[in-house]
Amino acid sequence: MLTELAQTLINGLLSGAQLAIPAIGFTTIYAVLRFPSFAVASHATIGAYAGFVANVWLGWPAGVALFAAFLVAGAFGVVTDELVLRRMRPAGPLTVAIGSAALTIVLENLVRFCFGNDQRGYDLPVLRDWRIGDLRLGPEQVEAAAAAALAMAVLFLFLAFTRTGKMMRAVADNPTLAGLKGIDANKVARLANFVGMGLAGFGGMLIGLDTAIDPLTGFRVVLSVFAAAVVGGLGSIPGAVLGAFVVGVGEEASVLVLDPSYRTAVGFVAILVVLTLRPRGLLGERAY
Amino acid sequence: MAMARGALAQSGPIKIGTLTPLTGAGGSYGPPMVKAMRAVVDELNAAGGVLGRQIELVSEDDETNPDSGVRAARKLIDVDKVIAILGTWASAVTVAVAPLCWENKVMLFTVSGGDSITRLPHMGYIIRTQPDTNLQSKRVVEFMLSQGVKKVGYLSAQTPFAASTYDLQTKMLKDGGAEAVGNVIYDATKTSFRSEVDEALKAKPDALFLNSYAPDLQVLLRDLYRAGYDGKRYTLGYAANDKLLASVPQAVTEGLISYAPSPDLDSPAYKQVQAAVGPNPDPYSCQTHDHISLAVLAMAKAGAATSLGIHDDVRAIGDVAGVKVGSAAEGLKLLAAGKQIDYEGASGPCKFTAIGDIVNCKFRFDIVEKGAPKLLSLS
Repeated sequence: MLTELAQTLINGLLSGAQLAIPAIGFTTIYAVLRFPSFAVASHATIGAYAGFVANVWLGWPAGVALFAAFLVAGAFGVVTDELVLRRMRPAGPLTVAIGSAALTIVLENLVRFCFGNDQRGYDLPVLRDWRIGDLRLGPEQVEAAAAAALAMAVLFLFLAFTRTGKMMRAVADNPTLAGLKGIDANKVARLANFVGMGLAGFGGMLIGLDTAIDPLTGFRVVLSVFAAAVVGGLGSIPGAVLGAFVVGVGEEASVLVLDPSYRTAVGFVAILVVLTLRPRGLLGERAY
Repeated sequence: MAMARGALAQSGPIKIGTLTPLTGAGGSYGPPMVKAMRAVVDELNAAGGVLGRQIELVSEDDETNPDSGVRAARKLIDVDKVIAILGTWASAVTVAVAPLCWENKVMLFTVSGGDSITRLPHMGYIIRTQPDTNLQSKRVVEFMLSQGVKKVGYLSAQTPFAASTYDLQTKMLKDGGAEAVGNVIYDATKTSFRSEVDEALKAKPDALFLNSYAPDLQVLLRDLYRAGYDGKRYTLGYAANDKLLASVPQAVTEGLISYAPSPDLDSPAYKQVQAAVGPNPDPYSCQTHDHISLAVLAMAKAGAATSLGIHDDVRAIGDVAGVKVGSAAEGLKLLAAGKQIDYEGASGPCKFTAIGDIVNCKFRFDIVEKGAPKLLSLS
């Protein structure tokens, strides 16, 4: 029993690390632009495919491909926001949120149009798990968790110590005051989209490394990502990380008591419980 | 609503609907299935159509999803007023669409394997060219037993046939001296199955039956490999398809055994499907080729381009005392001359029971070696 719990905890933490990156992207966009962008789903897919092109067609190693995934998804994020979502902003956050859901469908089908429905895989070997006593630990998952941790560290340094990072935090904290100080809201919006969607793409590739790349890669995790961001507190980056671990461990733990086919229910239940009992989530609504 | 479809439209093209997965989990099969049907329709139209009218195919995408399937079927039935719907693939879609068809008296030809489908009260409006779970399970359990397995664990995607397949095979394994040691039903949309794999391996099976679709099979195979599982793995042919084998490392797929109903490789109809779709047509394209051929021949035999015509005569064109024909074009000529015909299609003899199931067909078993399937047995 103890082994089962320990294994569940390990599985949960590793899958939480994978969820954390797109969750951070989601919550960053929420923090600055004040709407839940469901387009993270398609940008995660775009990142996974960008990584595929970089790794399989161009022959680049995984690390470089991850960086490419970030850049391409980030670029798409900025372009689609400029062309599509920005125009809806005057109509309010609900409209933009709905627009982002429509956008994600269009982008997913654009990917499908270019690459087809078939599954793809990266040009990397699948490794057997490490065994520590009765516990299993996947080397690829540990690598993905390490990549996620690195991304989080870089993001932290960016937001805490660079001028642009501080600008983003200022707009997230108090847009009116930031505007008075002369910070260009549009510039920050573009930056937030670039970083947010870039992270979604980075996360999408991490998921693709572990599982499969197909047009539905991002869509499959969007509920868990949304749940992670809500549980942690929309707009809070540490909250998104914490929320991702909570949802990750929660989904794994649910397999112990429920049928594995009910795993998705964890995301739904988490959202319901948090929004009913503590709407600001675990770490509050404040941005980083 | 109770009138035979098409009775009012005596001129103009005969409209037949196709409802296949152009996107979703079955997305790699829908397009070739439609291609195979179009090839037959084009050939027949060039020769003058049937009953003096041209045939028009109206194609819709069910997205491998029952909700989309129902919407598409509604459109085909209410807007396009088709007399038949051909090609539904996923069992969940067929189960959802079937009541619409029989209530509107529209013929439904399906390639889905879920047993419950033909047991629905369809009053003869469903024809299924895919062997049902009973026949499929019988053949695969025979094969597993012949390979000496003792304890078989099951991992199944959530589908209408997940539980029934397990129950059936449990009994068949028991009768053969082996045992089934548990069925883990998983949510096929998840990106990782570590916990499900852990649960399935708890009972230490020497063989696993993976009742999956291709996208989840890809993840499952990797997770089984990571977990260090080295026993036998059996799965469905449509899951372990060429695309999966190309995108998963060889070490992970080595030794995987897949089975599928086999088209009748020697039949003239099979050659026509090859001409339309490619040298290695999937079994579903062979079946949809037969769907359209059967529908057209039945209409011609009945003398009426209506759903009721197809309903009444789809078995009459398989008269074993008649002249063997391997194509709709050939059959139409003979029917026009007043002869009895015995249509044998690309998917098999196309003889149907009273509830619409095929009586028999061939099966093939393949093993994956170095990333490519190798035929183990075909009978």
